[in-house]
Amino acid sequence: MTEPARNSPHQAQRSGPGLSLLLAVLSLLMIAPFVWMMLTSFKSLSESSDPEWLPGAVRWSNYPDVFKVIPFLRFAANSLVIAGWVTILQVFTSALAAFSFSRLEWPGRDRVFFLYLGTMMLPGLVTLIPTFQLMVRMDLVDTYSGLVLPAAFGAFGTFLLRQFMMGIPRALDEAAEIDGASKWQIFWDVILPLSRPGLVTLAIFTYMGNFQSFFWPLVMMKSVDKFPLPVGLMFFDTEHGQATHLLMAAVTMSVVPLIIIFVLLQKQLIRGIQLGGVKG
Amino acid sequence: MSTLGHRGSPRRRLLAGLAFLLPNILGFAAFTLVPLVMSFGIAFTDWDTLRHNIFRHESLRFVGFENFSWLFHHPDFLHYLGNTFFMMLGLPFAIAGSLGAALLLTRVSHRPVARRGAFIVATLLLTGSGLLLRMGGMGQAGVWCIFGVLAAGSLVAGVLTGGAVYRTLFYLPNFTAGVATFVLWKKLYNPQTGPINAGLAPVLDGFAAVVRSAPAVFSWGLPLACAVLATAVSLWQLWRLRQHWDDASAGAVAVITGLAMLALPQVFQLRWLGLSTGWALGLAAAGVTVAAVVILRRPRRWGPVCALDTGLSAEIALALGLVPLLLLFAVGVAWGSELPAAAAAGLTPPNWLGDYDWAKPAIMGMGLWAAIGSNNMILYLAGLSNIPPELYEAADMDGASSLQRFWHITWPQLAPVTFFIGVMGIIYGLQGGFEMARVMTMGGPAGSTTTLSYFIYIEGFETGRLGYASAAAWVLFALVFILSLLNFRFGNRSAND
Repeated sequence: MTEPARNSPHQAQRSGPGLSLLLAVLSLLMIAPFVWMMLTSFKSLSESSDPEWLPGAVRWSNYPDVFKVIPFLRFAANSLVIAGWVTILQVFTSALAAFSFSRLEWPGRDRVFFLYLGTMMLPGLVTLIPTFQLMVRMDLVDTYSGLVLPAAFGAFGTFLLRQFMMGIPRALDEAAEIDGASKWQIFWDVILPLSRPGLVTLAIFTYMGNFQSFFWPLVMMKSVDKFPLPVGLMFFDTEHGQATHLLMAAVTMSVVPLIIIFVLLQKQLIRGIQLGGVKG
Repeated sequence: MSTLGHRGSPRRRLLAGLAFLLPNILGFAAFTLVPLVMSFGIAFTDWDTLRHNIFRHESLRFVGFENFSWLFHHPDFLHYLGNTFFMMLGLPFAIAGSLGAALLLTRVSHRPVARRGAFIVATLLLTGSGLLLRMGGMGQAGVWCIFGVLAAGSLVAGVLTGGAVYRTLFYLPNFTAGVATFVLWKKLYNPQTGPINAGLAPVLDGFAAVVRSAPAVFSWGLPLACAVLATAVSLWQLWRLRQHWDDASAGAVAVITGLAMLALPQVFQLRWLGLSTGWALGLAAAGVTVAAVVILRRPRRWGPVCALDTGLSAEIALALGLVPLLLLFAVGVAWGSELPAAAAAGLTPPNWLGDYDWAKPAIMGMGLWAAIGSNNMILYLAGLSNIPPELYEAADMDGASSLQRFWHITWPQLAPVTFFIGVMGIIYGLQGGFEMARVMTMGGPAGSTTTLSYFIYIEGFETGRLGYASAAAWVLFALVFILSLLNFRFGNRSAND
């Protein structure tokens, strides 16, 4: 729900039907392209180059046709698996590192953390070419590992989770330590369960980002049956021919699950961001 | 306070700390640090996959700064660098859009009055679209009907959920940003079959009819009016800057930034009037220098000496409003006189992605659409909910207007968020553009949408000149670094004003 409205009572005061209408119109602008996409996905090929929005007759058959033209499920499964592994690795290693940065006292800790933060400024493009050469040497080109590994470790997740863990009261883990819990037990049994919103937020960001990734798979993958979805979609849009209606059906199918995931998890997501907080 | 891990020797604590860090740091070292060092090395060699591959083993040569000097002597590289910066011009608007969306979303209330009003509006919309559908059948009216139903649906849902549904709808584009949306927008922009031009064509036809009915007004009146208005607005802004300098609410950096942004539309204006880019930039720079000298040399009448960057954010915010306005006037001056002739032949909507001048704005428009409801909006929402309500209550007791409340409470309180968004926006903006270029335009037409990142991709993976590509990547890194540093130096301080 909208917590912000409660926090600033006077801002809410002047809202009325006009504001709601404005918001509804803006929302329409935001979703109009999606509406067009869905409508086009029901057209026939000849209609798809028609400026008319509505299809003459609803062609459900476009959806099964997508599966005939490209191995859609295969591409989707590739994307799911790749993004899934990146997410698992990213969340787990980031949580460990964030625990170290937020809960353990060790000499030089904060200096190392700022170094970490500094690497967020590194443009990924700088390491693109050598990473590819590295993958060639390690024989990882055209493998799933070659897609997963370079994406799985980053400072952003550590930063987000550290901010989040800083907000968890110290008293809880001190009590556990007095009870004789080891560092690992404190991490696993106390901090990790309490960080759930933060973990979910990071997981969603990572998953979405990698589900959609295009650049690296495009460079790395050679065999068609290992293509993730975004690269696979390009089969509908080539110099040799365009199948706009099928493309839009495929895009719809690739986007709708993401929207459903977001709608289901958005409360957790926003809570995670709010508690994680960006403070200067 | 006894903190966890304070027990044990420093050595043991260090080991424990590093043990938890290890998985992340190992991966990071292997896939970021090592490539980083390699990249730096490659930038100084002549590595070219045509000559150094599995079949030919010519040894790599160290070529010093040759790659870098090649880059800067390569006419297209500067062009691509310019493209990258041009695309960055959208960033302030994207930030302003996110802030605006967050402010609107914060204002939604679930009070009964709003609820009843929304229901009435929704019912009207539904009946209206139903009537339209009955009268017009399918076709154009059907589309309106769909939109009517969607609007009504989102209104009702907005009331029932207290606005949460708008947040979801706003966030939607960002969520699916990626190849799928780029493909979608490529179709939307299609000049023959896309809905954007299909919608624009009748509007332009109507406009052309108006122009034809009174050509004199447009050939003389429009450029003249635009010129007068532009001059007035510019003079007002100059006067304001001087005023702010006088009363110490704007420091030197703020004044110069304000002047530079004021000069930006003039550069385009001069270009459109037929000057070369070099001359236009030169003239604008000269103008900024003269104005800066005139303003900054004035002794302050009152007020203490202020920091260099005082009022920087306010200047930028105001300039954001003025720049598009002045650009609009510039368009009027440059093309107003040609309008009647063009209208006689019939106005046609632009070719968007296929047109050298329109391709970049088209991509920026799509970027804005995706950016308004992005993570930035969520960050702003979180930031807004963290502002203590007492501040607003105090302001209300002093009888502050809503503009004053925004300017003196909301904006400064949000400064850390804005700062974070700005830094991240610069970092990602400078290395962006690859996916759009690859999916939508292949970098064209004539290289007008080739950004640095696309150039690096082409050099690194298509022509195989890894040395050049790495050198270009390091130029990019230097840019990111310098801009971030400036942002930390000035942005952070004004964030704490």
